Amino acid sequence: MPTKTVQHPLQIHIQGLMKRYHRQPVLNQLSFTIASGNFCLLVGDNGAGKTTLLRILAGLVRPSQGEITCCGSLPGVDTEIRRLIGYVGHKPMLYQDLTALENLCHYAELYQIHNTKVKVSQAIQSFGLTAHQDQPVRTLSRGMQQRLSLARATLHNPVILLLDEPYTGLDQQAARLLDETLQNWHSQDRIILLAAHRPQRLLSIASHVAWLKEGYISTHVPVAELSTTPSLRRYLQEVA
Amino acid sequence: MKALHNYLHVLWQVVRKDIQVEWRGRQGLPVMLVFALMIVFLFNFALQLSPELQAGLTSGLLWVSLAFASTLGLNRSISLERESSALDGLLMAPVARSAIFFGKALGNFGFTTLVGLLLLPLFSLFYGQNLLKPSLVLVMLLGLGAYTSLGTLLSSLSIQSRTRDILLPVLLYPLALPILIAAVEASRGVLSGQALGDQRSWLYLLLAGLLLFNAAGLLFFETILEE
Repeated sequence: MPTKTVQHPLQIHIQGLMKRYHRQPVLNQLSFTIASGNFCLLVGDNGAGKTTLLRILAGLVRPSQGEITCCGSLPGVDTEIRRLIGYVGHKPMLYQDLTALENLCHYAELYQIHNTKVKVSQAIQSFGLTAHQDQPVRTLSRGMQQRLSLARATLHNPVILLLDEPYTGLDQQAARLLDETLQNWHSQDRIILLAAHRPQRLLSIASHVAWLKEGYISTHVPVAELSTTPSLRRYLQEVA
Repeated sequence: MKALHNYLHVLWQVVRKDIQVEWRGRQGLPVMLVFALMIVFLFNFALQLSPELQAGLTSGLLWVSLAFASTLGLNRSISLERESSALDGLLMAPVARSAIFFGKALGNFGFTTLVGLLLLPLFSLFYGQNLLKPSLVLVMLLGLGAYTSLGTLLSSLSIQSRTRDILLPVLLYPLALPILIAAVEASRGVLSGQALGDQRSWLYLLLAGLLLFNAAGLLFFETILEE
C-alpha cells in the first residue's frame, strides 16, 4: 500500500494541454482527467503524442500551453510531487557501468528511502533479478534491463505509475511477471497510465482506455463500455 | 532545514555516483590524464625551447593541458547521463534540479583537479621549474572551479544537440577565455616568484567567474534541461 500522504485528492487533471516541437503541434488542446483507482491504457498510432504526454506528466517536458496537475500540484514545478510519480520510459534510465544493485541503491538514496538495503533487495527479488544483481547493467539483456527499469520506477512506492510501452523487449515470462505486477499494483489509491501501441493483452486488467488521436483524447471510456464505441473497438482490433 | 538537508543529500549522491561510475568504468580520468601528458610531452620535445622561454611558457602550457583534458572529462560526464537517459532519472528526483548541477559540477571539478595535481610534478620535471607551490594550487583550484562550472552548464546545454561533441568546445573556449587568461597570468606571477597578493586582480576575476557561472547554473540549469 502507498505510504505517502496525499493532501489533495489523487487524480491527474489535464486542461487545454498543448505541446509544440519546432512549431509543429504534437498535443493539441488535450483535456482529460484520470481519477484515483484508474488503470488507464493510452492507445494511439506512432507519433500520436503518447510519449510526450507521459513525459509532461513525469515533469520532464514543459508544456507549451495548458494546465496539468497531479494531486493538485504541477509535476514540473513542485519537487515533492515527483515523489508520488514513477516513470518507465523507452530507455531504462540506468547507469550502464553500475550493477543492478548499485543502480537501485543510487535511486533509493535520491528518494531518501528508509531501509534502503531491505527495499532494494525486495525490489530485486520481486522482479526476478536476484541472480543478476551484481552484474553491470551493460551486460544484461534488454528484457532484464526493462525489469530493472520497472524495479527502479516502483522502488519509492509511487501512487502514480506512468509506463511507456513497458512490454517492449520482454519475453513471455517477463511479460507475465509484468501483468501480475500491474494487477497487484492496481488499487483504489493508485493511478496507472500505460501507453501501448498494441494494448490487447491489457484489456482484461485495465479499467479505462483513452485514445490519443491527432494530439487530443478522442475517446476515454471504461473498458466495460468499449462496446459503446465502435470506432475505438475497431481500432483496437486493427492494431491487435 | 529539511529541504537544505535533502538538497545536499542529492548533491552528494550525484557526486558519489559519478565517482562510482568512474571507478567501475575507468574511462574518464585515465583518458584525461593521458591526454594532458601527451600535451606536456609534445610541447617539451617538439618545440625544444630554451630554459628562459620554457619558464615563460610553463603557466600557459599548464592551463592549455588542463583546459583540453577538462573538456574531455566534461564530455564524458554528460555522455554518462545521456546514455540510457539516466539523466531523466536524476531529473525526477524530488529535489530542486540545481542540486544535480552542483553535484555534476563538483564531480567534474574533483576529477580535473586530480589530473591537475598529478600534472604539477611532471611539469616540474620536464620544464625545470618547481610547480609544487601552495599558491599555484590555490590559483588552480579557483581557475578550475570557474572553468568546470561553466563547462558543466554548457555541456548540459549541448546535451540535446546532435553536434554535442563539437558544440561543447566551440561554446566553452570563447566563454572561458577571461578565466583562462586570468589563470595563466596569476600562475605566471606565482611561478616567477611574486607574492600571491600581487595577483589579487587576477584572483578576483577567477573568483567572480566561479560565482557567476555557479549562479548561472543555479538559475538556468533546470530551464536548459527541460525540453
